[in-house]
Amino acid sequence: MKLTDSELVLQAKQGSESAFEELVYRYDRSVLSIALKYVRSEDEAKDIYQEVFIRVYRGLKKFEMRSEFSTWLFRITTNVCLSHKSRSKDNLKVSLNNTVDDENEFELADEKFNANEMIDSVDINDLVNAALETLNPKQRMTFVLKHYEGYKIREIAEMMNCKEGTIKKYLFDAIRNLRKKLKPVYDTVE
Amino acid sequence: MNHNEYKKWIQLSLYGELSGEENLKLQQHLSGCEDCRKELEEQKNLLSVLTERDKLKVDDKLLSDARAQLRGALKNEREKKYSATRFADILIGFISSPYRAALAGAAILAIGFFFGFLLFNSSAEVKYIATNQNNNEVSFTDSGVIIKNIRFVDSDATDGEIEFTFDAVKTISLKGKVDDPKIQSILTYSMLNDMNPGSRLNSINAMATDKVLQYDTEVTDALVTVLMNDENPGVRREALQVLKKLPFTEKIKRAYLYVITSDSVSGLRIDAINALAEAIKQGSSLSGSEVDLFRNKLQTDNNNYIRFKAKTILQEYN
Repeated sequence: MKLTDSELVLQAKQGSESAFEELVYRYDRSVLSIALKYVRSEDEAKDIYQEVFIRVYRGLKKFEMRSEFSTWLFRITTNVCLSHKSRSKDNLKVSLNNTVDDENEFELADEKFNANEMIDSVDINDLVNAALETLNPKQRMTFVLKHYEGYKIREIAEMMNCKEGTIKKYLFDAIRNLRKKLKPVYDTVE
Repeated sequence: MNHNEYKKWIQLSLYGELSGEENLKLQQHLSGCEDCRKELEEQKNLLSVLTERDKLKVDDKLLSDARAQLRGALKNEREKKYSATRFADILIGFISSPYRAALAGAAILAIGFFFGFLLFNSSAEVKYIATNQNNNEVSFTDSGVIIKNIRFVDSDATDGEIEFTFDAVKTISLKGKVDDPKIQSILTYSMLNDMNPGSRLNSINAMATDKVLQYDTEVTDALVTVLMNDENPGVRREALQVLKKLPFTEKIKRAYLYVITSDSVSGLRIDAINALAEAIKQGSSLSGSEVDLFRNKLQTDNNNYIRFKAKTILQEYN
């Protein structure tokens, strides 16, 4: 009979490696998918995936099961994604250095983005990627969880430890920004 | 409600986040508002571009790579944890002792004696002097023993006596039948824990004989663990060879499926898919998700044989 998450967590807390492994296999595809959609790079997604499960492994002893294991896991996933600093530096990103904070970084990336100018020279997929990368981390995370992963706003609020109203605002802002940037793209596609 | 509110509702409705009543209200508004209908169309277009133009997918190879990396990281983590726990035990034992100074002195003395032994005793023989509870004056000698982890029970030497514990590790030669539970238990421990892949391989090899009529559950579990987690492909292959001889169980099936989907070595994936095909031929069944997995494998594996075999299994299974 299939064990529940709680039963596996209890066994894993007592040191069972196979129980921990089973928990990983139950959720790791979702974790990797969130990371991949968020960072848009396979290598970086693998780094995030690893960091998430190492944090889970380290934190399992202190996990008091007040929430579902999956909620806790995805909260860690969103935290790791949000604190992740991208390794790549393409022409749409601003190099990360100590003098540029997150907000400035996204503003600068935003200024460089002009779909009208780029549409003839760049693949549309790259434009979509680039537009997503100009969103600030919380908007992007919310959009990824909602649009690509199909979570409910209530669930996203739990994962990101915010109120539902805040998540809705992130989602509205994300869509407004994407719409502004990709208008030339979907006008052309139509 | 104003247009801006309805525009937000349009977004929420596209994501199925409106209640039935809210949806009804929105539909009523849309039927009479050209501006909002246009808004709905634009939002649909944007979301479809974002969906259709997204090529990032978690395929089996990516997942398998990520799992392999994680296995390595977890192994390091476990080793670190083990070392840290042992160090903490020693430290706590030291700090909590009320006779810290005496303990330190006695420890230095004991270590001095120990090194003296090693230095001046040219033979491999190590001699212990211990207090026997019965006659108070027994000494014993032994050979081939390595001493580790000295811990003091009584470090106060004012009465002329101290007491400490230590791990005496000794090489033991054991000869017995390969299906003896004790022998199997030791070999199981070795295949899971030995740092040397050659030793792990030999331990599995030793059990891969027809002389073994029955394996303990612990041995089967260990072989499954080795097949799924050992970092050395040769060791994993050997575990698979032994598992093939055992009665087919759900656990073994899961291990085969894991190898088929996640192992980076195509030879092992081929062995696993062949073993699974044989088990199916003998009457074992696959769940719906397992059938889906094969369907997926049929399309994604980079090895022609595996794709062909997956197709055959599906055809035969249907």
